Amino acid sequence: MKKTCLWALVGLILFSSVLLFPLSVRAHDVNECYANHQVCRERALAMNGAWTKIAIYLTVCDVALGKCILNM
Amino acid sequence: MGPILRQAIVYLALTSGIPPAAAITPADAPVRRLAAEDVTSRDARPEEASLGLAAALAYDAERVYAVDAEDCAVKVFRRSGRFEAVLGRSGHGPGEFSFPSGVAVLGGRLFIADKLNRRIQVLDLSGRFLRSFPLPFAPDRVLVLAAGRLLVTRRPSSRPAGEKILHYYNASGEPLRQELVARAGGDPVLDAFLNMVLVSPGPRGDLFVVFKCQERAVLHYGPDGGLDGRIPVDRRYISKALSLPVRGGRKTVEAFCWESAQDRGRLFLLAPEYTDGGDIGPGDKVYVVDPAGRLEARIDLPARVSRLAVDGDRIFAVDLAGELRVFRVAR
Repeated sequence: MKKTCLWALVGLILFSSVLLFPLSVRAHDVNECYANHQVCRERALAMNGAWTKIAIYLTVCDVALGKCILNM
Repeated sequence: MGPILRQAIVYLALTSGIPPAAAITPADAPVRRLAAEDVTSRDARPEEASLGLAAALAYDAERVYAVDAEDCAVKVFRRSGRFEAVLGRSGHGPGEFSFPSGVAVLGGRLFIADKLNRRIQVLDLSGRFLRSFPLPFAPDRVLVLAAGRLLVTRRPSSRPAGEKILHYYNASGEPLRQELVARAGGDPVLDAFLNMVLVSPGPRGDLFVVFKCQERAVLHYGPDGGLDGRIPVDRRYISKALSLPVRGGRKTVEAFCWESAQDRGRLFLLAPEYTDGGDIGPGDKVYVVDPAGRLEARIDLPARVSRLAVDGDRIFAVDLAGELRVFRVAR
């Protein structure tokens, strides 16, 4: 019984780690977050639009960067 | 103003490093106004001639080259405004671009700031790839200065502090020097505005740098790349105040210039204008500034424009609909 429980526990841990693995990879790919953030900022700054709109877009880019880094 | 007072102001200006012309011009002295007429070719243009996101303009003796960041291409027009060709396409290979943002032309070669591919590409005038060199940052504008030297600007990321905006390279793509430390305002959004610069090549391999906001002066860099001086602009040139939403509230910035160009030793500053909603956007008035910072004239364009290049009495510009326009200035 003890052995069965142990194997069940090991299986559960392995299964959980497989489930979480893609998420953990994404969470640590911070460079991609910064690359996307740069694209976002450049698009905002290249707009020929009004400055308040650009400022709001830049803020959205910064919020998206934070969410990306925290993997939210 | 009396002659003694005028001499005293000139003396004070000279001893404090301010060009006397800018110092003694009364704020209410009239500015000569010049009209500009739209002389764009009436030939029908295909849809691909439209500029989705016009980033920069350059011209040579026959053509005008407009970089379109959205279409990832260089669009070529005759100097009359007649559309001729599209060079390049989206991608990462030779002759392909990812968000190109700057263009310069010299000696039958096009130099393209290929922003998201982080490189400068050199093409011939038919669009054939010649060479490229990589950069450690995403380039913004590119200029060809004297003796095959290139100037490449970068937009600082605010991370880390102390990044330089101006980067000089030789013709082989080897770095020569860096200048102009990014300004820091304590907020990444504000920093982005504080570090928006416009660069124009001077007639002697020198360089003029204009900040788009918070600086009523033009920085002049000599042919060696070092800072030569700071030219305060005539007080008759009016900047526009704008309250920007930044972290923890709002911050007022002075919008100084939307776009600049240099021609025959004169600077052409496209003044920003208030939009209907009270925001700041591109305008339709171009101020001509002499090397001492004094206003020589104001050119009234028939339309608001976002990009600008000047050659004698011709102004090549991109209007807000993304169309290349050619204006002739009546002098």
